[in-house]
Amino acid sequence: MNGMRIQAQQYPKFTGANIWISAEGSGSAFIGFSLLVPEHLPYLDHALPLKPKSASPLVFAQARPVIRGKLGKAIVVGYKSGKLGGPTQFELTEGRLFTASEYEEWAEADIPLREVVVDEKMDLEIGERILIGNKDLKVVGKAKSLMFVLDTPLLFMDLRTAQEVLLKNSLHVNMVIAQTAKGFTPERAAKELEAFDAEFKTIDVRTLEQTLGDIIDTYVDEPMKAVQFLRVMLWLAAGLIVGMITYVTTLEKTQEIGVLKAIGASNFYVAALISKQVILMSVIGVICGLILSYIFAVAAPIFVSIHPIESGIVVLISFVVCCAGGYLAGRKAIAVDPMVAFRGEM
Amino acid sequence: MGSVVEGKGLTKHFGEGDARVVAVDHVDIAIEESELVMFMGDSGCGKTTLISLLGCILTPSEGDVWIDGEQIDYANHDLSQLRSEKIGFVFQLFNLIPYLTAIENVMVAMDIAGLRHDEAEKRAAELLTQVGLDQRLHHRPAQLSGGEKQRVSFARALANHPKIIFADEPTANLDSRQGMNLMNLVRELRHEHRTTIAIVTHHEGLKKDADRVIQMKDGQIVSV
Repeated sequence: MNGMRIQAQQYPKFTGANIWISAEGSGSAFIGFSLLVPEHLPYLDHALPLKPKSASPLVFAQARPVIRGKLGKAIVVGYKSGKLGGPTQFELTEGRLFTASEYEEWAEADIPLREVVVDEKMDLEIGERILIGNKDLKVVGKAKSLMFVLDTPLLFMDLRTAQEVLLKNSLHVNMVIAQTAKGFTPERAAKELEAFDAEFKTIDVRTLEQTLGDIIDTYVDEPMKAVQFLRVMLWLAAGLIVGMITYVTTLEKTQEIGVLKAIGASNFYVAALISKQVILMSVIGVICGLILSYIFAVAAPIFVSIHPIESGIVVLISFVVCCAGGYLAGRKAIAVDPMVAFRGEM
Repeated sequence: MGSVVEGKGLTKHFGEGDARVVAVDHVDIAIEESELVMFMGDSGCGKTTLISLLGCILTPSEGDVWIDGEQIDYANHDLSQLRSEKIGFVFQLFNLIPYLTAIENVMVAMDIAGLRHDEAEKRAAELLTQVGLDQRLHHRPAQLSGGEKQRVSFARALANHPKIIFADEPTANLDSRQGMNLMNLVRELRHEHRTTIAIVTHHEGLKKDADRVIQMKDGQIVSV
């Protein structure tokens, strides 16, 4: 889940925008159905709280591209070349950026060049073709990896191309991102922009922090509630198994404990012996668990990031459960009758 | 010579009501210093229960026990410490800890008594040498013969200079040659350490080594 959180935040942070504008009532740029009309753009380009000309219209939408004959998943990011929201020449690892369209001069009859910059992890070659909505796009460049949640790769293309392949040539965008002007905090800028629009109530303005919170709530925390529950159950189950193993292992030593007591071991000695074994087992188990979790995290089919605090909690829970198992076993052990030494074989 | 162990009116019963079984029935017994006593009798006659009472493993239902002249107060005495310091045990099935080596098995008894590790190691090696196992110090019980295991048991019993060693059927799981060798060892150890030894046995052939043979029947001593 930490991996999902990291991935969910990667792209919004990467854009450099600290103001995210979506259609009023959509909840947020990434959450609900948001379509902004082109008329918003000239107004936002000159809005006082925003850095002049920083407003960048964006199409950000899930798509099912056909790659090498197979249906895949990706996020289409359509943006205007030179504006916020996409990789610059510097972020390309191979090839070039797509050819920019003349957005403002566009006419319906114009067909934008269908070029796409893909995530380097998609393992596509320059010149390869992918299909989105039956439209054929040519890979012209590869960008540094910026996966969205669940390892969903980003496909960068010209805003017009995105509108053509996803919105049937409509000029709408689903968000506008921007940077605040000097002297404006994102919170103040958001407040003032909404105040300008108070009469029409057409836009919803959020700061980067709010947007990140929205994304994590919607794409990570909410869907992961069941997983969280499952995770707690797994912790408990694992802990109980460890505790039971500790308990049963000690019970198997009844004869040995009986002999030790017969030859003079005190209850304290027996309890200390069991405690030492339990602590040793717990420490070894925890170390093995941590090593394995890091190995499995690398081998996992999706990006997994191990959070040190969560690891600490798991370690603590495992240790406490082990010790509880050891405590119960220890109590059982000190109750062993030393007469068992006369009765059986070890 | 004074009594190392003494029991007066010792009675032990298990269970209650119709299920009540009297294992030891009003037994008076005293074992003198350096004595080799053998307890004989049929199975179930109460021999093991009696040595468990005298060895302070069991608490008597009635009667009193004296160890080295001191009366045992079962409510207040630290019996585990008493067993560790004054009593050694040898069991029929050896009861060595399987994952420890011979020397470690002997050292366990000294560790319980609080002896320092290096001193315990030195003494354990000496004791194992005395019982003829100087070449087997680092062997685990599974790598030893029955006779060798019982020698390790005797070394463990001697670890803390006990006043008395109680041995429960020490030769029962050994063949006759190993049994004879073990009794030779018992004689040597007794001579060397002047330890009092009480042995529970069925083997009539061992009688000749005893200073005293105590015959038991139905929880009572029938002849001495």
